[in-house]
Amino acid sequence: MASVHESLYFNPMMTNGVVHANVFGIKDWVTPYKISVLALLYEMTATKTPLPERRRLNKLILPLQQGPDLTLGQFLKIVEECCPQTADAVKLRLHEMADGELKDMEYFFSTLPTPFTAFDSEAYKTSVVGLFMRHMLLAYNKLSFSQVYKLYKSLQQYYHNDSDMDLTSTEDTVGDRMDKEELDVPLHESELRLVSRGPLSQKQAEYFLARQAYLLKNDENKALKPAALQEELNNMLKFNPDFAEAHYLNYLNSMRVQDIFLSAHSLLHYFDRLILSGNEGKSNGDEGYGRSLRYAALNLASLHCRFGHYQQADLALQEAIRIAQESNDHVCLQHCLSWLYTLEQMKGSDSTVLTEDSVKMAAHFCLPYLASLGIQSLVQQGATQGKTAHKLMDALKDTDILHWKQSLSELIEISLAQTTSIWRMYGKSTMALQQAQLLLNMSSLEPVNFGVHQNNTEAFAVALCHLAELHAEQGLYGATSEIFQHLKEQFPPHTQHAKLWMLCDLKIQFERHMNERKYHLAEPLVKAISALNKTEGLYRKAQVLKALGRSTEAYNILQRLQVHCEKTKCTEIIIRVMLSTSELHWESSGFSTALPLLLQALTLARQHHLQSLVSESILHLAFTQLMLGVPERALSVLHEAMEPVLAHGAVVDKGRTMLLAARCQLAVAGFRPNGQALAVDTLNEAAVYFTKLNCKERLRDVHYLQAQLHRSLGQTLQSNKSAMLFRLLDQELQSPAPPVSMQL
Amino acid sequence: MKMAALCNDFGDLVQIKKQLISVISLCKERGLLHSAKWASELAFSLEPLSKEDLPPAAPFTEDDAQDLDALTLAKSYFDLKEYDRAAYFLKGCCSQKAYFLYMYSRYLSGEKKKDDETVDSLGPLEKGQVRNEALRELRVELSKKHSAGELDSFTLYLYGVVLRKLDLLKEAVKVFVEAIHALPLHWGAWLELSNLVTNIEMLKSLSLPDCWIKDFFMAHMYTELQMIKEALQKYQNLIEAGFSKSTYIISQIAVAHHNFRDIDQALALFNELREQDPYRIDNMDTFSNLLYVRSMKPELSYLAHNLVEIDKYRVETCCVIGNYYSLRSQHEKAALYFQRALKLNPRCLGAWTLMGHEYMEMKNTSAAIQAYRHAIEVNKRDYRAWYGLGQTYEILKMPFYCLYYYRKAHQLRPSDSRMLVALGESYEKLSQQVEAKKCYWRAYSVGDVEKMALLKLAKLHEQLNESDDAAQCYMRYIQDIFSCGEQLEHAEVSTALRYMGQYYFKNKLYNEASICAQRCCDYNDAREEGKALLRQISQVRDQIETPSADLFAPLSNNNTPVRRVSPLNLISFTP
Repeated sequence: MASVHESLYFNPMMTNGVVHANVFGIKDWVTPYKISVLALLYEMTATKTPLPERRRLNKLILPLQQGPDLTLGQFLKIVEECCPQTADAVKLRLHEMADGELKDMEYFFSTLPTPFTAFDSEAYKTSVVGLFMRHMLLAYNKLSFSQVYKLYKSLQQYYHNDSDMDLTSTEDTVGDRMDKEELDVPLHESELRLVSRGPLSQKQAEYFLARQAYLLKNDENKALKPAALQEELNNMLKFNPDFAEAHYLNYLNSMRVQDIFLSAHSLLHYFDRLILSGNEGKSNGDEGYGRSLRYAALNLASLHCRFGHYQQADLALQEAIRIAQESNDHVCLQHCLSWLYTLEQMKGSDSTVLTEDSVKMAAHFCLPYLASLGIQSLVQQGATQGKTAHKLMDALKDTDILHWKQSLSELIEISLAQTTSIWRMYGKSTMALQQAQLLLNMSSLEPVNFGVHQNNTEAFAVALCHLAELHAEQGLYGATSEIFQHLKEQFPPHTQHAKLWMLCDLKIQFERHMNERKYHLAEPLVKAISALNKTEGLYRKAQVLKALGRSTEAYNILQRLQVHCEKTKCTEIIIRVMLSTSELHWESSGFSTALPLLLQALTLARQHHLQSLVSESILHLAFTQLMLGVPERALSVLHEAMEPVLAHGAVVDKGRTMLLAARCQLAVAGFRPNGQALAVDTLNEAAVYFTKLNCKERLRDVHYLQAQLHRSLGQTLQSNKSAMLFRLLDQELQSPAPPVSMQL
Repeated sequence: MKMAALCNDFGDLVQIKKQLISVISLCKERGLLHSAKWASELAFSLEPLSKEDLPPAAPFTEDDAQDLDALTLAKSYFDLKEYDRAAYFLKGCCSQKAYFLYMYSRYLSGEKKKDDETVDSLGPLEKGQVRNEALRELRVELSKKHSAGELDSFTLYLYGVVLRKLDLLKEAVKVFVEAIHALPLHWGAWLELSNLVTNIEMLKSLSLPDCWIKDFFMAHMYTELQMIKEALQKYQNLIEAGFSKSTYIISQIAVAHHNFRDIDQALALFNELREQDPYRIDNMDTFSNLLYVRSMKPELSYLAHNLVEIDKYRVETCCVIGNYYSLRSQHEKAALYFQRALKLNPRCLGAWTLMGHEYMEMKNTSAAIQAYRHAIEVNKRDYRAWYGLGQTYEILKMPFYCLYYYRKAHQLRPSDSRMLVALGESYEKLSQQVEAKKCYWRAYSVGDVEKMALLKLAKLHEQLNESDDAAQCYMRYIQDIFSCGEQLEHAEVSTALRYMGQYYFKNKLYNEASICAQRCCDYNDAREEGKALLRQISQVRDQIETPSADLFAPLSNNNTPVRRVSPLNLISFTP
């Protein structure tokens, strides 16, 4: 029995035991739906319709030609929305054919305007419409006797199924409805889909794949959901297992859901297929075949890279490089090289030399994309290693010229996002803001395909994250949450770049809770941060521990972190760790021990041009000096940081600077009313900043100082007012205030 | 205990024979030819019954009598493959038998039309849709009757087949199990079920009737799931229970031995099978594979000619001829015959794989890749195709790339040393010595077929300067080679001996070293070195013996490392 079934799987597309997808070169064939489209085109050429309706119809042609087969009802509905008369005419024509005889269909095909004769019509042979008509005519003429009959039968069914449907106005075809009534068991889901959606012709399949692949790259949210896409692909592969491109899309789709098993399987399957087709193309001969081998290995490397299997990726890459070298494929070698330095970077080792080589070679072989990608990577490395700003900016500017010349829009976006990041790193928030806005407001340079602007790339995610952070710094939490809302929509949690905004969101929440002294809220966030970024998580943990007064633990963590970061050359964190350590020293009144640490931090920050960290270090330094009893020195040091902080700093930093300045001024002035008046202004300013952030703890300190100050100036009224404000806040906070002197 | 139970089950062979005879007539009446054939074969292997023992014909009901004429007419149309006509005359019949034949002819008619239509379907992508119509209608009708409980065992079986064709596998399994419960003797239902069982857990979870035929099914399943030992045990039990003459069992055991790579045993069984059933074509492709592996040209040639005389348009015949040409190194012709086999049945798994092998021989790697891929598409569990793909990429010098394929193959055959050795070699090429060592060691411990794993392991240790481990491996290797008796072509005993000689010499075990060196002299490629080593040994011995030998002898023994290899008694081995 079994073998009887088996033998029925005869495949007509097979010659000499090898299945060819396209022995007859058939890319398209006539289906009832195609006949309806032809009827529509025929009506459009035959009759004169008013211009606006005509325009709407014209816009319809391409999607109708390329899209999957629709049922007659859907088709007519779409046409009706544009032009009711044409829809009626089309329906009438189909009715004539379906309710008539076979000869009516034959007659229809013979009356179609032949694209070769109609010179002045839209159906001329080279036009989109003409090409489609030629395809259809050719396919129709190739049909054998039984096939023509079959086509006619299916046309009748197509028409009648649908006209019955009008009566009941359900979405399903008649057969389905019958089944559903008769069956107690629900029909299998995939079976239903199969019925409602016929198989795609090769053209339609290609269009579908191209569209989905484009959407996956540029705006994942608009693409089909992973499960739905998988089902479509399975369906497609069931009808035509030789459609290799579907395997590649399958690979991309599996990557979306982080399925290493399936994605590796699909990738290899795709290349197994491709290797053959490459060999068949006689124009590139053996070369084409070897080429796909090389790229197969390279793709495998990138796959392992994506999943973080660095060793595996390395091995695959070595292999790709070896075969590319053997066959002297410089272009492939270049690609390998750029992956090599990326891999090195991901592994955390220094790859500057490799990258430089890559850029040089890429320039030599005229591969602008790879060259400027290399430069961008170099800039990134340079920025973390403390190269001077003007060098980096120069490099970026040079690549930008290259991008605009070659219109490499993707790289332009990356470049802008990178500039934003660099400015942010240097602590120039205004410049960062401007660059981020520039990227976000730039209308896409990609040709707008499938009605999608390219705004789902990593560059956009990065820019938006920076924007969110910048707003949060200024205390504009409403705007920040709006940005995150947008990010959540654009980059849903399962997507590749979602981690960027997740980390960013957590950091902002953490900072906020820390500023408001809600440590119990900040603590659970640490775990979430650690999951996304270990180093960052560790640093945050130390901060929470420090705030909770568990200094020993905090100190241990900071020490560990410093060792780790010195290994990975993560300068920013090193400086932060130093500052935190010095704060720990303050708690044990070890102000003098904190000094060398702070100076070291300051030097490091200056060396790397990290403006915000420089200011932060100066702040710490000034505070230490104040505590050591040299307020004059402290004030003069502080003045250095004042300007950048006020220009670029976060609101909380501004407040802290002003508060510290006031305290220094008070200490310097002693009982001179002149100096005290200055301090009053400074304190008022600090109060404004802290109120903006709703940072009650610090506000309480400010009021306390204000009250004292006013009393010493003899302004009892103001003094009482400040005292009252202090009292109110103190009651609200309910926690005993830490000694004012101990806190920056 | 278990044996006793089994014997009990099979105790009444007469009863079994009776059951078989009745089921044969049932299947025949319904046009289920393959099941009838299977049962007949089995019945033939049992002792003939006396006249009284013959089972009475199935009871004849009123319905049957009513439908008799229509049924007879329809059956003759059915036999002539005029399915629509048969179905037309059966419409309205009410007996179960007629209903089954009615549905079955509709099903076969649909299949036949699908078959015809695929030839001139409107396009390559439309293939899948062609079959839908008849199947869906059948499903609707059958499922209605099924929920009403009106289906007998044969219609249940048909319902299962329809479900399977519609890819509703879970439901199909349920229905097949039901069908088996209704009539356990219908082998076709078991066979369909076996196609749907993918792993041992699933097999265990099925609730099957306790019938003697279940043992046949389990044995078949074990073979399918590559659990050869269990399968052989089952078949052995069946033979002991009285089915010793059954050609079916003999062929299955032979196939199992083939899967187990127990070539001699399998060859003997196939020869026996051919004596008993000289015109048999089933399974002969497996037989030819075995002959091929053993390079038995005359036997293979005889088999090929014999089969061509019987029926040259059978898949098995084409495969045998393909193998024959391949053995004669006429790979183009071999590929041609495999292609012919595939034309006869594109789902013939073996042919795809074999064609892949042929393309490999012709150095047409891309065609080979495609052939293997097709094999995998037909059956994902075909380890040979995965292994072949791995080999192809290895030839293309992509050791990392082929790892994936070898791993797949290894997954499917965890205890096959060839995959492990291949994996090890790839790892070695990637300089992943640790993994390579693991693979070789594992290959050795699962029973190395080609006796290469140990040698490779030893060489690897040698490269890594792990001389103790290397020596141990060489030692085992030498023991292995000598103990297996037969002379292997690629054996590198001389290499091993040379290394052992040097090793003992370094560790100052001069007696053992000299034995090794002497054995080295038996081999052409190591003779010079053996002699040189012997000279060195005698020199050193002279030096040692000139001072007082008694003082230093124990000391030199103590110098040897703790993990020293025990000196081997090479004299006992006869190369």
